[in-house]
Parts: sequence; C-alpha cells; structure tokens
Amino acid sequence: MPEPGAAKPPAGAFFDTDFSTMDSVLATALLYGLQGNNDCRVAIISLSRPNLAVAGFADAVERFYHGPAATFSQVPPIGMITEGSPGGTSPAFVALFRKKKPDGAPVYKNEVRTVTETGDPNTLFRNYLEAQNDQNAFFVLGGPATNLAAALEFPGLKDLIAAKVRCLVVAAGAFPAGPVEARVKADIPAARKLFAEWPTPIVASGFEVGAALEFPGASIDKEFAEAAPDNPVADAYRAYQAMPYDAPSWAMAAALYAARPNEGYFQVSGPGKIGVDRDGRTLFTASEKSNHRYLIVDPAQKEKIIRTYVQLASAKPQPPRRFRAAADSVSDPRRTQA
Amino acid sequence: MITRKAPALIQGSALPRRTFLRGLGSAAVGLPFLDAMAPAFAASSVPGTPPVRMAFFYLPNGMIMDAWNPDYEGRLGELPRSLKALEPFKEDVLQLGNLTHNTGRALLDGAGDHGRCSGSYLTGVHVKKSLVEIQNGVSFDQIVAGEIGGRTRFASLELGMDDARQAGDCDSGYSCAYTNNLSWRSGTQPLPPTLDPRVLFERLFGAGQPMTPEQRARQSKYRRSILDFVTEDTRKLESNLGPSDRRKLDEYLSAIREVERQIQRAETDNRQVDPQMDKPYGIPADFGEHFNLMSSMIAIAFQADLTRIVTFLVTREGTSRPYRELGISDGHHPLTHHRNQPELMEKVRKINEYHVQQFAGFVDKMKTAKEGDRSLLDNCMIVYGAGLSDGNAHLHEDLPTIVVGRGGNYFKTGRRIVARRETPMCNLFLTMMDRMGVPMDRFGDSTGRLVGLDLG
Repeated sequence: MPEPGAAKPPAGAFFDTDFSTMDSVLATALLYGLQGNNDCRVAIISLSRPNLAVAGFADAVERFYHGPAATFSQVPPIGMITEGSPGGTSPAFVALFRKKKPDGAPVYKNEVRTVTETGDPNTLFRNYLEAQNDQNAFFVLGGPATNLAAALEFPGLKDLIAAKVRCLVVAAGAFPAGPVEARVKADIPAARKLFAEWPTPIVASGFEVGAALEFPGASIDKEFAEAAPDNPVADAYRAYQAMPYDAPSWAMAAALYAARPNEGYFQVSGPGKIGVDRDGRTLFTASEKSNHRYLIVDPAQKEKIIRTYVQLASAKPQPPRRFRAAADSVSDPRRTQA
Repeated sequence: MITRKAPALIQGSALPRRTFLRGLGSAAVGLPFLDAMAPAFAASSVPGTPPVRMAFFYLPNGMIMDAWNPDYEGRLGELPRSLKALEPFKEDVLQLGNLTHNTGRALLDGAGDHGRCSGSYLTGVHVKKSLVEIQNGVSFDQIVAGEIGGRTRFASLELGMDDARQAGDCDSGYSCAYTNNLSWRSGTQPLPPTLDPRVLFERLFGAGQPMTPEQRARQSKYRRSILDFVTEDTRKLESNLGPSDRRKLDEYLSAIREVERQIQRAETDNRQVDPQMDKPYGIPADFGEHFNLMSSMIAIAFQADLTRIVTFLVTREGTSRPYRELGISDGHHPLTHHRNQPELMEKVRKINEYHVQQFAGFVDKMKTAKEGDRSLLDNCMIVYGAGLSDGNAHLHEDLPTIVVGRGGNYFKTGRRIVARRETPMCNLFLTMMDRMGVPMDRFGDSTGRLVGLDLG
C-alpha cells in the first residue's frame, strides 16, 4: 500500500499486440515517446501469437528505448502466448538484425532465442499490475483479444485489473457500424469475452480512426533519422514494404488517447455497450448504464494528431525517470532504492 | 537400553527405523539407515522407500550473477566460478534460471528489498512494512512440517549463524523478524533459528531440549562425550549387525563425535579469546567452522531421520559481516552496493565463492552417507540460493537457485534448467511439496508446477 499522501507516478502502460502491421510497431514507439514526456511508464509489451522472431524484434525495440546502459535483467520481458498459430513473419522483424556498424558488429542484438527469454503474459500482467497504484494503469490492445480474454480467467487477475486499470483502449472493430475488422475476426470468441467481461471502461479505436489518420512515412528518413540514425522502429518500417508509404494508425490512436485522454485529440461517443456478432462484426448499443465508448476523428484535430504522432514516436530514447514521491513509491516493480 | 518406538510399517523382524541408542541422563542418539532396517523404512509413504528430505540454505545480499549463471542450458558442463566448488558433485546439481519472487519487490512499498526478500522467500507473501505489526504468511516448509512432521522426532529444524533479533528496524522500516527468520508457523509467528551449535547438538542428541548450564557442567566434568552415555546400547546393537552395518554405524558415530569435539574446541577457544564474551560459548568465531558444524548436524539429522525439513539462514539480509579470512574487511552488504566498480564486485565474487565452498563440504557429507543402495543426497532436495539476484540493483528476478540431490530419484540432475522469465519461485515450492507428499494446488503466487525437472 502506498503511504498516505504519496503522489502517483505516471500511469503504467500495458500494450498487447500481435505486431501484424506497422501500426503496432509505431504504437510501441509512441508509448515510449509518451514515457519520455512522463505521460506514462511502459510496463509490459505482450505478443498474442507464439512467434519468437517477432518477440525478438519487440525485445530489441525495448532495449533501444532502455538505452545502451540497460542490462538484460533490467529490461522487462516480452510477454508471449505459447499456443496458437505463429502467423507470418514480416522481413521487417528480422532484417534489422543483419544491419552492421562500420566495424562489422551488429547494430541490434536478438536476445530472444528461446521461449524462456519471454514471459507468460498473465504472470507479467499480474506482477506488473501489482506494482501500479490503484486506477493508475491502462491497457492498449492492438491485435486479437486472445491474451486479454485469457487474463480474465487467470486466478485473481480480473479483480486486480478492476483495481489498478483505469481504462482499456482497443484498436479494433468499426464504429458505430462497419465491416468485419481483421483483429476482431482473428479471435472472435476472445473478442466477445473481452467486451462482455472486461472490468474497466473500454474505449474503441475503430478501423475508421486509423484509416483517417495515416502516419507519414516521410518522417522515417527525416525526424526519426535526425533523432537516432539507428532506430529499430525506423529500420523495420523501411523493411516492411517499399518506401515511401504511409501507415494507418489504429493502435497509435489508441495509445495516444489512453495516455492523454484529456488532451482533446479525439471526440468520444456517449456510453454504450460493444458487442461482437458471430461473424466478428462489432455492434455498439448506446446505453447510459454501460461503460464502453468509441473514438471519433475530429477533422480539426487531424493535423495536430499526426504531428504529435511523429514528435512522440521519433523521439530520442529517454531512460525511465526515477520517480521519487514522498513515500518513495515506484511503478516499476523491479527497481527500488538501496 | 535400545528403545524402539514401533512404527506403522515394520515388517518381519527388521530393526525399526526409529531406533534410538539411549543411556543414562537424557542422551538419545538416532540411527542412520542400516541394512538391518531395509524392509521397514518407517514412516516414508512407501514401504521400503527412504523418505525424501528437504533443506534450504539461504544466502543474503544477492550474487554477482556473471559468476553464477552458466551461459548455456541443458547438461552442466564447466561450472561458473561461484559454483566451482561443486564441480565434483555437478551430476547432483540442478541449476535453475529465471525464478522470480515478485512478492519481494516494492509493489508500492518503497525501499526495503532486503527485509521483503527474506521475509517472503519461503512464504510467497508480500510482507507488511512495519516494525511492530508483523504480517507474513505460513512458510511452505511449515505447511509440509504440519503434515508430515509427526513422523520424525523434530517436525523441522530452523538454523542460522548470524542474528536472531526479533525486533527493531533491520531494513528501511521492516522489522528484524523479516530478515532474521525464514520459517513462519503463522503469519505473525516466525520460528527463530538456532545459532549455537551446542544448543543444536543437545536438541538432536539429548531429550530434545538444551541442557541447563548445571547439567552441561556436570556432563563435561564426568563424561567427555554424549556417546559415552550410550556405550552399552551401542555394543548391544553392534553385536546384532553385519559387517557393513557395523562399519556404517561406526562412521556415523564418529561423525557425531567429531561434531562434539569441534564444539568443545570452539568453546575452549572462545573462553581463551574472551572469558566475558556474551556470545554463547558454542558459537565458533570462524565462519567456516561454524558453517561446518551446523551443516554437519543437518547431515546427521537427515541421516538419522530426526527431521525431514531444515531451513538454514546462513547469514541474514543486510549483514555487514566482513570476511577477513578472505582478506576482505569491508562488510558484505556495503560491498554488494558496488555501483559496478570492478574491485568491489571482485570481493563479492570471492564471498559468493567462499560460501559455496563451505556448502560443498556439506554436499560431500551427504553424498558419502549411504542410504540403502543410494546416497543420502539422492533422497534429499537441498536448495541453495538467495532472495536477490543483483544485490546492487536489488533485483528479484532470475534468483540464484540450485537444487542439489534427486529428491528420491525424481529430479534429473546435472542440468541447467531455465524457466520462462518471471516464473514464480513458488512454482518450485509446489513441485517440492509434491515430492514431500504434501501436494497443494497453489502456494503463494504460484502459477503451476515447475516443469522439466523430473526424469520424464
């Protein structure tokens, strides 16, 4: 229990994704940019498919943002499910490990060679949520709901989520109505369970949001390159498909809203209930008694949002700030003072 | 007078497992497993099968992990520097990676990792930060002791070498009760460790209680050894044993005698050093000698099936003990906050190495002692480890942990097994509880059993 009067550190960020698109990679960079601004502290990144190559990439991104002084034990593990299909592996996630420095040494090191270098998502959620103040964490879902639905069945975790998490922002579906969306369709039972049982408010960043707010690929060779010549996010972006291209921003929008809900970047629907039909189509039913909402793009904010995307995602890595509240409260469970 | 407390599983005319050599006074010397007992291994769950025992050797202040963890998985090859002394026994060692005690972490309670990590080590409970309002949980050794402790003379033994204070601030607002005890009978009742070898000796071979000073003086005046009290019983027993058992008995009694001599020597030395010293007379000044005495008695207690559960808090978290025998006059704890300075890290490596050297002496005894067609070690699970990995950064993940012994021919030893990162240490405890015959669905923050340790 934090001591009375202790200030809260920035909110802990939990990002669960399948890294099936460049959007999730950029959202990771965005979260670290937000961390650099003290808007959140990245707690756990978890992967909803058993793909070691992708986990290795995610780990390399974490190490990049933790800075050169980071040692293995000080970088949080990547959570990874061990069942299901590994899915495809984009060259974007492996090409960067072939990049060499002038002296021939690899620029990035892949530290995830076996599943033991990853963690069980539920154990990580529990361990890292226990280190958060009440209502001072958020989840961003940028992939199928597989891991988060499973978390609801893990002993004690649903109650812990209710106590610690202020909001889940889901980059999935289409609102208020639209076609079947890929991330929901990827695991329909999990999506139905998530929307039915998740114990905190949920805000959805639908297909239409990400499509309307394309991340400008030109920034990769400009702002990203200026901040850090070797950046795994930028290198992955370049390798993902032929440049130049812009990328939809479903998960980026979700992450931005989750960390800065009061900045007015988006309009938000009234309360209601999100359901999922048998085909995977999301259905929103307005209801004052429910706590689901969805984001609505405000055309007047579009330019500001995209500028913010670039500014945050391309930011130079900043090591996590050591939070020193009166009670010496910390949100990173791994570190305390001597 | 050889007394036999009839166990439930005596078969034929075999010598009962719980035979004691008794004599005048309060002497009661348990016996090791002899061939003459073969058909009747008293209270183990399977007739004829030796019981499984477990012990914990707890080391404080973390380790220098580059000298602890091998850079490979699978079959143990060359051991890392800190474990080198176990090289002759590496086929009996399981080196475990990535076990984590999340409950030792701050979890919003701020500083005090040393208090938390030892307090929670065997309980898997995030202890309450307080000097007076102690709140922990029942340690898993005591859950096991509660179930099977009645089968042996002592349900469990709690040993230490450092500090038995039960009150005061031992780490940033954490009571000394958390740093100075490993075993907890309840959330508020720790079991303080016995520090004095003499007291332990008298518990093991007397009436179960330490002697009064008067009794002790009388014994030392008239008798030189506890074994003198049981000479008659010993002679009678020997006359009924075969040559192999006679040799085994002789070796066992010699080991007891050697422990007794060491205690007497320590007492003599202590009196010479300082007749006024308030330390109990049986505690040797020398760390290695003290360790050797305590661990020898663990081996004897296991050999004689006096208990099946031991916790040994070798030294306490935050200890500032210097190791002058290694040429290190700095305190252990301050050294572990080395801020990555090579010369300080090297001193910590030497201390880590030294501790394992002492432990290897104990493993040797356990390996040498025979129990049926196996070694005593084969029937034990000896956990040697710490509640912190990197003591400088106070990390609670990838805790240095080895298990020595096969837990009754169950563990496939001689390997390094790496679990997934953040795997709860309590998962190992659940597996050990299975081996002790006390299975539970969950313990502490466990998420399941630790897989991959067995022969399967």
